[in-house]
Amino acid sequence: MNHETILLEYIKQELLRGRKSDLKVEDDLLSNGIIDSLGILQLVAFIEERFHIQVPDEDVVFENFQSVKVLSDYLAKF
Amino acid sequence: MIRRLLWLNGFAVLGAVLNHATGWGFTAMYWWTDRYTAVAVPHFARVGDAAYYTLRAIEQFIMFSIPAFLFVSGFFVAFAAGRQRQIGWSVIGNRIKNLVIPYIIWSVAIFVLWALQDGLRPWHAYARSLLFGRAAAPYYYVPLLTQFFLCSPLLFVPLARKWWKLLLLGAGAVQLTVHLAQYPLILGWNVAAAQWVARLSPGWFMPQTIFWFAFGVVAGFHLPLFKEWLARWRWVLLGGTAVFWLLAFVEWELLFRASGAQWLSPRVTLLDALYAGCFILAYMAFEKVPIPYARQWGELGTKSFGVYLIHAPAQEMVARGVYHLAPALLPYQLFFLPLLVITGLAVPLLLMAVVNRTALRPYYQYVFG
Repeated sequence: MNHETILLEYIKQELLRGRKSDLKVEDDLLSNGIIDSLGILQLVAFIEERFHIQVPDEDVVFENFQSVKVLSDYLAKF
Repeated sequence: MIRRLLWLNGFAVLGAVLNHATGWGFTAMYWWTDRYTAVAVPHFARVGDAAYYTLRAIEQFIMFSIPAFLFVSGFFVAFAAGRQRQIGWSVIGNRIKNLVIPYIIWSVAIFVLWALQDGLRPWHAYARSLLFGRAAAPYYYVPLLTQFFLCSPLLFVPLARKWWKLLLLGAGAVQLTVHLAQYPLILGWNVAAAQWVARLSPGWFMPQTIFWFAFGVVAGFHLPLFKEWLARWRWVLLGGTAVFWLLAFVEWELLFRASGAQWLSPRVTLLDALYAGCFILAYMAFEKVPIPYARQWGELGTKSFGVYLIHAPAQEMVARGVYHLAPALLPYQLFFLPLLVITGLAVPLLLMAVVNRTALRPYYQYVFG
């Protein structure tokens, strides 16, 4: 599975808990209320554990976490 | 370092649970004494014994909890604003919605318990309780955090981005004023200015805690600078944590005795705030030091808002249950305190696990945030 699919599944299961099953990879995660402060921290922890990628603190910004698509593109750089 | 914020939230919510457990511990020792000894209450004979100092030490240790929550929330605002743009009102609206809906649900549940116990109250009593977070002792935090979020796009974000030193100085000065006003009030001095400051800075209003939120936003916007500063001062911060904990502990005892009062409700003094600040910063500064049970702390951190909302009514029910059904246990803090801490954690976590594993799962966020 690629980053996009894994992230989408994780967000649907762990952060949305079945609330919004039609989440798309382009959806804005913050503006749509899909992730909050703890959600971001959870997502960072998940990425580090699941993909064995150490996300630099300076990269934990809205621009890299705006949507599943943007986040996957960012992770592809590692 | 950012992952440590999640664990910090876990420590902070355990701190909140411990704090309210110690409150019930003091209640059992002084206000419920007549349930296990033939004395008039309140009965303060046990002030100064080993149980008193144990509860005080715990109470002093967990002073970092609310500052930590606010620091993490401020950090989130910087994240949501991103490198270039302003934080959107839709982000603020969603964040507030996720805070307020569970808050209203649990407040109404508490109102139902009040009605069952004492009958209905006038509607404005419920409205005031909701507005100022009075349904349970820790609920003031929700109106407080809502104000911080509402002020973020116009105040915190622009200032933290461009004039962060001014923001920290201003927020620090406001909060310092509130802390300093506590001293004459505790000592019973008739200082009109201090009374005015106290009246204008209740717990649910921003001045008392504004520095912690502002600091979180500034740290988030200027992370490289913040990390560099932490690395340079980390040993001082660690030392400051230990020294200010001790000084704040001793200060409270001195203030308590100097006040001449039989009992003083907890208040946040300047030394408490210095301890809390050093604790949070030292914790962030030693980012390479591994945290035992990090996964479990992280799990607790993700559930912190739900635990925060539910632990207080759960503890109250158990404490009152012991009062009515097993009052002989009330003087034994070695039993009573762990019971309340376990209740404060287990009840919310159990409720969350049940909702998460049933058809109610889609409603999880509305109930627990």
